[in-house]
Amino acid sequence: MSAKFTKSMARNVFYGGGVFFFLLFLALTFDTMKVLPKRDNSQNITPAVEHGKKLWETNNCIGCHTLLGEGAYFAPELGNVYPRRGPDFIKAWIKGQPTGVPGRRQMPQFNLSDADIDDLIAFLKYASEINTNKWPPNIEG
Amino acid sequence: MNHSSATLSQEDLPGDFAIWIFIFAEMLAFGVLFVSYAFTRAQNIELFNASQLTLNRTSGAINTLVLITSSYFVVRGVEAIKRGLNQQCSHWLTGAFLLGGVFVGIKMVEFQDKFAADITMSTNNFYMFYLSLTFFHFMHVLMGMVILAVIIMKARHGGYSAHDYVGVETGASFWHMVDFLWIILFPLVYIIR
Amino acid sequence: MKYTSQAVAKPYFIAAIALFLGQILFGLIMGLQYVVGDFLFPAIPFNVARMVHTNLLIVWLLFGFMGASYYLIPEESETELYSPKLAILTFWIFLVAGAVTVLGYLLVPYASLAKWTGNDLLNTMGREFLEQPLPTKVGIVLVALSWLFNIVMTVLKGRKTAISLVLSLGMLGLAVFFLFSFYNPVNLVKDKFYWWWVVHLWVEGVWELILGAMLAFVLIKVTGVDREVIEKWLYVIITMTLVTGIIGTGHHYYWIGTPAYWQWWGSIFSALEPIPFFMMTVFAFNMVNKRRREHPNKAAVLWALGTSVMAFLGAGLWGFLHTLAPVNYYAHGTQLTAAHGHLAFYGAYALVVLTMISYAMPILRGRAANPERAQIMEMWSFWLMTIAMFFIALFLTGAGIVQIWLQRISVTPMSFMAVQDQISIFYWAREGAGLVFLLGLLLYIGSFFVKGKSHAFE
Repeated sequence: MSAKFTKSMARNVFYGGGVFFFLLFLALTFDTMKVLPKRDNSQNITPAVEHGKKLWETNNCIGCHTLLGEGAYFAPELGNVYPRRGPDFIKAWIKGQPTGVPGRRQMPQFNLSDADIDDLIAFLKYASEINTNKWPPNIEG
Repeated sequence: MNHSSATLSQEDLPGDFAIWIFIFAEMLAFGVLFVSYAFTRAQNIELFNASQLTLNRTSGAINTLVLITSSYFVVRGVEAIKRGLNQQCSHWLTGAFLLGGVFVGIKMVEFQDKFAADITMSTNNFYMFYLSLTFFHFMHVLMGMVILAVIIMKARHGGYSAHDYVGVETGASFWHMVDFLWIILFPLVYIIR
Repeated sequence: MKYTSQAVAKPYFIAAIALFLGQILFGLIMGLQYVVGDFLFPAIPFNVARMVHTNLLIVWLLFGFMGASYYLIPEESETELYSPKLAILTFWIFLVAGAVTVLGYLLVPYASLAKWTGNDLLNTMGREFLEQPLPTKVGIVLVALSWLFNIVMTVLKGRKTAISLVLSLGMLGLAVFFLFSFYNPVNLVKDKFYWWWVVHLWVEGVWELILGAMLAFVLIKVTGVDREVIEKWLYVIITMTLVTGIIGTGHHYYWIGTPAYWQWWGSIFSALEPIPFFMMTVFAFNMVNKRRREHPNKAAVLWALGTSVMAFLGAGLWGFLHTLAPVNYYAHGTQLTAAHGHLAFYGAYALVVLTMISYAMPILRGRAANPERAQIMEMWSFWLMTIAMFFIALFLTGAGIVQIWLQRISVTPMSFMAVQDQISIFYWAREGAGLVFLLGLLLYIGSFFVKGKSHAFE
């Protein structure tokens, strides 16, 4: 009785299963959005942070670095660079690029103003204070 | 996975084989969730026991009876259609559908209580599992009701016969799974301590 | 070729292969930059090379998907394509837009590119894989809509099969979920949350529908197995894909600020994600074993079987390797992720497009299958590329494991760059495997130019 495995039923199960799990995903998304304000440090988003995020994006920092573990894996994690290095080091570092050491990985010079760098650091500080369930495992990222 | 082995199991299983693959996936997901619950509980017995006391066992028990009864109705519905009785089948299934509605109603009151007490999936590990499992199951009840409704509509128009009732059996298999999962879920989360 | 309008697939396939070559060249540049840090600096910094590498991948796969659907939909629908002219127009728009975008990446500082292309109107740039300037993003939407429109209109006027339905749904999903690339809130957590709606729901969701439909089509053609059987298994497999893959998105929500319960939801459902891939492997081999005909295009059968195996290894096994939250806590954002990314993209998507090209291209060139010698060369290229990619994944896995150990588990954790120095041997080996991959690809391209007595149509 091979008619008991039919294409039309397989299709119905596909539709039903697909819609079902998408709805479940939406429900979880809804809950996530409700919980986020307690975790995402959004109360500390200032105009400086906003501008810093834009600088982060328009200089394609994610093309080498990771941020909360996502991005390229060519250069250090920056989600916790603020507590790891502190603002002064970060500023000096960005200004001092590229190092020009032969054979070493090079970071471009982005020609940012002091105010720009401060905003970028404000963004990195904000990112470092997001509740990431204790990730990364240690300060090295 | 190959076609001949599929044919073999098709003879043993009521309803369309496609739903059984889906049921298998669902049981696997629930199974892993149940096992995860047990392991997490073993590491936080006090927290789990304390939080468990806040659950409403009475409504859980009523819901268990409601679902078991609805499953019985579904069995009667399948028996009816095997004799070609579309109308009787649709009546039994409507009964099961309404009991599903009762389950949903009681469950919503229970959820409402928890939300009113500001309990969410992020409150603690017990509530994470309690809400995940019951909500995931709750959605399955809703889906089962949609499936029953489709079958009821078709049966009303005489869509099945004593020779062609695979559709009814397919829906029935899903409903029994929903019932079966609750029968494990209820003692596991509400009672066992 | 049964329908003359299928011919529009040809330029799409050619463009796909050309861009594939470009992707590999930039991959080799980056691979070298991993060990010779100042290679090509400052002309092509790593971030630019990476943008080109990943964007070319996406674009060539899209070219492949489009070409494949313009080839298979007329045959499935048993009617000419709704508008071949629109398909050709779309091709040129997409190609030019793609080329201009890549040139923009290479020739203009990214910040200036952002300024000139209206990023101030709507911030969308500078996020991984979604680096395209606003006009390019809009262009992608338009191209996808034109493609969807053309395909759906063709399906509507002809025979409706499960394959064309699943393919159309996949394309619809592709277009819809790409719209989330326009949503970029300042809130970094929300930004990341919805960024995955494009990236994860593409590659572990709707793209798999496209993959399944393409693979099913080729299997019907080369095995002669009953359509009913293949199509119902197609439905079952993609059902499992959606059942596991949609909630499986949760495996990206462990450490980005989202609630902790995602660790459970994500771990459990993504742990089940290998199941549909395993089913696909068993399914493909079963269908080939039950074949009712010996198709002269042996290379296409090899690509098809290769897709099913490598997709399982890359997406299924390598994904599972680091998907459980307690493991991912240490593995997140390391070379292990890169290993998985490479093997999964190659195994599932690069290979399925190459399968489709291998099957369709000879027919588009007026023969059932290529000459024996060309096929042998093509099969050599399959093995070279596949083994090379497998080794790339192995070396990156080795690099990842050592990296995790030194940087995250050790009681005296080393800094990122210090660890990178320690694992440079893996990167050198990876670059070597990359060169073998390039050799395989060149052989593949060469196989198109081998002359000889080809198989005529039956």
